[in-house]
Amino acid sequence: MTQDDLTIADPKMKAEGVDVFYGDKQAIKDVSIDVGTDLVTAFIGPSGCGKSTFLRSLNRMNDTVASARVTGRITLDGEDIYAPSMDVVQLRARVGMVFQKPNPFPKSIYDNVAYGPRIHGLAAAKADLDSIVERALVRAGLWDEVKDRLGESGTALSGGQQQRLCIARAIAVDPEVILMDEPCSALDPIATAKIEELIHELRGKYAIVIVTHNMQQAARVSQRTAFFHLGTLVEYGKTTDIFTNPKQDRTKDYITGRYG
Amino acid sequence: MTFNAAALLLLILGLALIGWLAGRARSAMLAGRAGRKLHSRPQYHGWYVALWLFAPAAIFLAVWTSASPALITNQVLTTPAAESLPAFGFERGAILSDARSVAQGQQAAVRLPAAAPLVKPYAEATAHYAWIGIAAMLALALAGGAYAFTRIRPEFRARTRVERIVMLLLLLASLVAILTTFGIVLSLLFESLRFFSLVPVSELLFGTYWNPQSGAPVADTFGGIPLFWGTVLIGAIIAMLVAIPIGMMSAVYLTQYAAPRVRRWVKPCLEILAGVPTVVYGYFAALTVAPALRNFAVMLGVPNASTESALAAGIVMGVMIIPFVSSMADDSINAVPQAMRDGSLALGATPNETIRQVLIPAALPGVMGGILLAVSRAIGETMIVVMAAGLSANLTANPFASVTTVTAQIVKLLTGDQEFDSAKTLAAFALGLVLFLVTLLLNIVALRIVKKYREAYE
Amino acid sequence: MNRDTAPTDWNAPAMQSRIARRYAAERRFKALGLGAVLLSGLFLAFLLFVMVGNGARGFTYTHVAVPIDFKATPLTVDASRLDDPDADQVIANAGLSDIVAFAAGEALGEGGSDVISENAWKEVRTAIKADPDLLTGKTVFELPASSRIDIAAKEGAKGELGARVAALKANGRLSTGIHWPFFRNADATDPAVAGIWGALKGSVLTIVIAFLIAFPTGVLAALYLEEYAPKNRWTDLIEVSINNLAAVPSIIFGLLALAVFINWFGLCQASALVGGLTLALMTMPVIVIAARNAIKAVPPSIRDAALGVGASPVQVVFHHVLPLALPGILTGTIIGMARALGETAPLLLIGMRAFIGDVPNGICSPSTVLPMQIFLWSDEVDRGFVEKTSAAIIVLLILLLSMNALAIYLRNKFEKRW
Repeated sequence: MTQDDLTIADPKMKAEGVDVFYGDKQAIKDVSIDVGTDLVTAFIGPSGCGKSTFLRSLNRMNDTVASARVTGRITLDGEDIYAPSMDVVQLRARVGMVFQKPNPFPKSIYDNVAYGPRIHGLAAAKADLDSIVERALVRAGLWDEVKDRLGESGTALSGGQQQRLCIARAIAVDPEVILMDEPCSALDPIATAKIEELIHELRGKYAIVIVTHNMQQAARVSQRTAFFHLGTLVEYGKTTDIFTNPKQDRTKDYITGRYG
Repeated sequence: MTFNAAALLLLILGLALIGWLAGRARSAMLAGRAGRKLHSRPQYHGWYVALWLFAPAAIFLAVWTSASPALITNQVLTTPAAESLPAFGFERGAILSDARSVAQGQQAAVRLPAAAPLVKPYAEATAHYAWIGIAAMLALALAGGAYAFTRIRPEFRARTRVERIVMLLLLLASLVAILTTFGIVLSLLFESLRFFSLVPVSELLFGTYWNPQSGAPVADTFGGIPLFWGTVLIGAIIAMLVAIPIGMMSAVYLTQYAAPRVRRWVKPCLEILAGVPTVVYGYFAALTVAPALRNFAVMLGVPNASTESALAAGIVMGVMIIPFVSSMADDSINAVPQAMRDGSLALGATPNETIRQVLIPAALPGVMGGILLAVSRAIGETMIVVMAAGLSANLTANPFASVTTVTAQIVKLLTGDQEFDSAKTLAAFALGLVLFLVTLLLNIVALRIVKKYREAYE
Repeated sequence: MNRDTAPTDWNAPAMQSRIARRYAAERRFKALGLGAVLLSGLFLAFLLFVMVGNGARGFTYTHVAVPIDFKATPLTVDASRLDDPDADQVIANAGLSDIVAFAAGEALGEGGSDVISENAWKEVRTAIKADPDLLTGKTVFELPASSRIDIAAKEGAKGELGARVAALKANGRLSTGIHWPFFRNADATDPAVAGIWGALKGSVLTIVIAFLIAFPTGVLAALYLEEYAPKNRWTDLIEVSINNLAAVPSIIFGLLALAVFINWFGLCQASALVGGLTLALMTMPVIVIAARNAIKAVPPSIRDAALGVGASPVQVVFHHVLPLALPGILTGTIIGMARALGETAPLLLIGMRAFIGDVPNGICSPSTVLPMQIFLWSDEVDRGFVEKTSAAIIVLLILLLSMNALAIYLRNKFEKRW
């Protein structure tokens, strides 16, 4: 794997030699990667290649699977996130996540967004909470559509709106990194375009990692791309390089559509 | 000569077997001789013959078995020996049944001297009707078998016929459920209407004094409110105060925290708790829980503390319901998509925040449905209250006092020695009707809620 | 980063103490859950402990060694009549009970006849019928003690009674052993001779009848509803009926049975036949629901495969679907039958609560069932019945647990994932 021209001076997150096991089965083998602060990083690869598994190890969501085990070192701002001193609650507040299928809670739109700030105690008063909710919804590009019906259930929104609600919910906790696990795979093209637009706008405010198996999407939204195959990181580089001038044959075969 | 239904049933089963073999052999032979392919395989022809042989005879057997005792008794009563019998009443029945027992060989000698002259007429009548019955049954069986046997041809669609009968059987079986439901509704309604012609409906539903006496109905002694209150206090309040928190928390712990190995061991234990018969719970409540609670109440200085207390019955009933609530809650929580849980945990919520603020609210409709079913089960529970709650109809909120419930009173009203038509007996059916309607309502609402909820996450 | 707000300071003391509080709440909540599970387990353990503690003694009984010399006090009875069906009556009329009481007085001193059970002579009678030669000599019989003596011997007693028992023990007259009459006899008013055999046999008869009716009907109904029923109003009505019947209180079935089977059809009251019919109606919906789930679990591909080779719909179901669904159906049926076996309330209403001192000899003769026997004994004033009740409960629980274990075994053995 090549990484010569890619050294990021001050990576937001850094993974070194990460292995992930589910029971006896190794899902991720020796992956090292840097996630830049102001960049959108895309993980691409065929289904089952481990890209989502690796993403979930970045905010320790793999902890919820009893048989999962992670070795190697992953740091956030230089701090080992698997160290005993790391508090998983804080970690997940700092590294937010958006899932493949929109999963709003069966609560009102307002309560969905306010859920994170409430549990973390980020707002001292109702007015603060209101402004956090408003700001998150504005950033997620949903405010104009829902400002008059904040009391309605989040599950009543359309699929694309639900996914933006979930992004707003993640933003409301004021994270430093946002992990997106195929956020558009359950959405129609128009809703997908809106989410991609949103990713552009959020870039620079948050470090963003997006898993996708849609190569055009990776090309459109990301500056860095990592290609995973069979649990290994095959190639990592600037998005333009990966798509125009891949160094590995496997990468070339994948992006030219030989398999996937 | 007696009419032994079981032996005769075996006899026609044997005949049916012969018919089956004969039908099968004949169809195979006909096919071989004609050199044609059979429409149905030989065993279907066999089944066709066997069914024609068995079914009419079996139906006749059932009818004859239930009708012949009355016919026999009638014939005996026409004999001169019956003239000395008392005109009616218990003694007459006892003498007749004594003579019958001897005549049919269940007893070596008569116990009542008056029965002795009747033994011979009884034996004669029994033999007479037994011969008629057996002859008729055999004739039916042979006629049916012969009819079916002659219809066998290679092109005869025996399989279609047999399958049509099987389908009819399936339909009949599923109608039993409807028949049972109608039977319940009609029998409760019919007896209740007779009760309400003696005592107004409003008195049963809104009266506050319950003290039914034997004999003619006395006004204002059939007030159901104390019973309804007792039922609610024990089944819907005390039992639920025990069962809901413990059942819910058990379900939460087992689904969200416990290791799979722990769950594999604990769940069967909870199932055992659900499998203990209610009479055992009742005995346990009366023997152990109630005296302990009474001593406790006396220590606190509670007035009217009784060894038969609402609290003892309610607590034990609550324990009985725990597995039920827990398994309903378990199902509901498991039905909440994993994505909800992940979404909350990914925001940095702790498991308990996730459970209380996301999972339980999302599972609430299912849990509510389960609780309604649990209430319906608790208010219909009988043995625990009969054994531990007592029979005095008190209108009190003191859980240490004795109260009674609808089910306990049904049992009390129907287990004394009274005429079946007395107001007391009929009152049991009226109470049964109220209980049936209430539980029916609870069940329908609960099943609706649960169904809707399941659909919401599918 | 170009953020428009200051980033959250996670290391601020307020935030840290807030997190500590949240973790404390988490620990409390988890402990609460564990507590709830433990509480249920504890209750089960306590219940079993109380029952076993009380009931274990119910299987044993205290016997008193009493020599009876039939030469000194002859029983004048014609040896040839001892094989007659009414030999019991003959022996009783000959005054055996007086002879036994006299022998007890001789052997145990004044009040000796109070030491043995008032029904002890019936044990002697059984022995004589088995071996008429006893009538010509002197034999030491191990006779059941009276209930008072039995309890005093097992639990200890004070005062006069305690001294009496101590003296008897010192003489080597008392012995405690397994109480066979408990397994052999029907109900009686005297705990010394009361047994569960009558109730057990009644239970078996009742359950067999319930099974013979409910199982075929339930399975056939389930097959109809799952495989053939058209989607129409009638089918909906059947489904609603079954779902509701499964949740109707059991006592309602007792009212139904009383009104229909006893008052209308005039079937034999308090019999295993009516009990079985009642329990069959009660259990059938449970079997239908279990059977439907098992049938539903058989994948449609199997039906398609059979239909594809030209099987008729009836053949598909009886050759393929039913055999595959059978383990699941049986599991549900066993659990339903176990519930019926423990059921008391509906049987109370059809007269099965009457005192029945004989072992039932047919499906139409008056009988009782095990749970009802427990209920009846729990009401007895005689203290000797307390341990009998618990002993009967142990027998019932062992029956039920083995049925449930069988069901769980079947489920685990045949459970298939398609």
